[in-house]
Amino acid sequence: MKVLLVDDDPVARAIHAMMLHAQGHEVVEAADGELAWQLVQETKITFVVSDWMMPNLAGVELCRKIRAANFEDYVYVILCTSKGAKSDLIEGMDAGADDFLVKPIGPEELRVKVRAGERVLTLQQGLADKNRELARINGQLQSAHKLVEEDLKAAAWMQQSLLPQPTQQAHGIECLWRLEPSGYIAGDIFNCFSMGEHETGFYLLDVCGHGVPAAMLSVTLSMVLTPEATYGSPLMALHPLTGKSEVLSPDDAVRELNRRFQSIDDRYFTIIYGLFDIRTSTVRFAQAGHPGPILIRKGAKPKTYGEGGMPVGLWPKIMFDCFDIPVQVGDRLLLYSDGVTECIDGTNMAFGEERLLSYLEERADVPLEDLLEDLILKLKNWRGKGECTDDISLLVLEVTAT
Amino acid sequence: MKFLESSSGSALTVKVLESRITADVAASFKAGLVEYVKKGNRIIILDLGEVTFIDSSGLGALIGSLKAMGGNGELLLCSAHEAVINMFKLTRMDKVFRMFKSPEEAVSAIS
Repeated sequence: MKVLLVDDDPVARAIHAMMLHAQGHEVVEAADGELAWQLVQETKITFVVSDWMMPNLAGVELCRKIRAANFEDYVYVILCTSKGAKSDLIEGMDAGADDFLVKPIGPEELRVKVRAGERVLTLQQGLADKNRELARINGQLQSAHKLVEEDLKAAAWMQQSLLPQPTQQAHGIECLWRLEPSGYIAGDIFNCFSMGEHETGFYLLDVCGHGVPAAMLSVTLSMVLTPEATYGSPLMALHPLTGKSEVLSPDDAVRELNRRFQSIDDRYFTIIYGLFDIRTSTVRFAQAGHPGPILIRKGAKPKTYGEGGMPVGLWPKIMFDCFDIPVQVGDRLLLYSDGVTECIDGTNMAFGEERLLSYLEERADVPLEDLLEDLILKLKNWRGKGECTDDISLLVLEVTAT
Repeated sequence: MKFLESSSGSALTVKVLESRITADVAASFKAGLVEYVKKGNRIIILDLGEVTFIDSSGLGALIGSLKAMGGNGELLLCSAHEAVINMFKLTRMDKVFRMFKSPEEAVSAIS
């Protein structure tokens, strides 16, 4: 190791230099603190054995300068005091000295103290190397994270573009919605569209889990779940005799979806799919593991319909039920994902279906737009500072004509 | 994910020591259950007494574990809380998993 030996007494310096040489060190000598300070700055030497009392710059001052400079590599400093001269060890430690030697210094004492310092420097170096490596990795992570975030933002934009127009109208139905993804992108998706001349289809689905894998499936599903899907819509079928495309009953449509989307990794989705027929003023629903629709009718208590059903994608060949809700002009149907009812407050209490129903009852006369906005706000307040762990989606359909 | 195991006859009872089985623990929940299946346990009674909530990912993990048994065994549930029971009813999973009020009831149902 290279050691800077600082002493204004040439005899003492020569003796100590000899000892250090004999112990295998390379010795650089300086006759006072000022010269030593120059050398420390120029040669990046990291081990200093310095006398305390010296002209120009005392050992303790040299020590202070070294600490103040805050070199990239730690400089280990041993201060030497003379026996009898009452040097203030506290002052020395305050100045940043690592260790002390009392003159006259024996070779063995010098050897163990320098070796102890060398160990400290080795550890220090190891830590510094690790820190540099961590900083490098951290930089890489940050840029990777930025890239992922940009990708997610782009994906979120694409997903948003698949959602219905802010106020979409179909045969006798006006629809409004809100989507609050738990991250950039959601596993929830929904839509509302005209089917044929008399019917309006609408659905809300929730792919289990969140994030990219859930969103990829939800986007795929939204491409498929339209009456004009490129490779044969699961919502339509060709009539065996006439060969004309016909709207499938919701239960058959969901069964077809289940046939096509069998999961390979426990990933499934829940869906509520409704079909409004303006001729019969009836909405026929198929419900697959999804919370049932809520009918909001003026002058009546909001009511949840449906008795559940298995989710889609778990087992092939399962049957799905359907049920009808007769509707009249002014009726509203709320479809929502479980992120609404399972939204928890600070004490892990879920918002729950009952609270949702009574909220809807209180707001029976509020315009649709405000109803949704207020509900989202209410859920956010309910959650408080808690984490948003699931996507929240709301789709309301108002019957405008029958 | 922590489990507390006890065996009674041919069945292994596994108590889930977690209050919420959600997306962040679903993978380790399933890994734990699949490990029991791999060890040759054919009848597993899952005690959900400590579980107040299971989300869709948790349910997926449970079904994945059942599928891992390959139809050669049974996964029974017991002591489920009301919120969990409601979720199972909504998704008709109460038709897929036999559910009991207590581990004792589950044990006597299989013996």
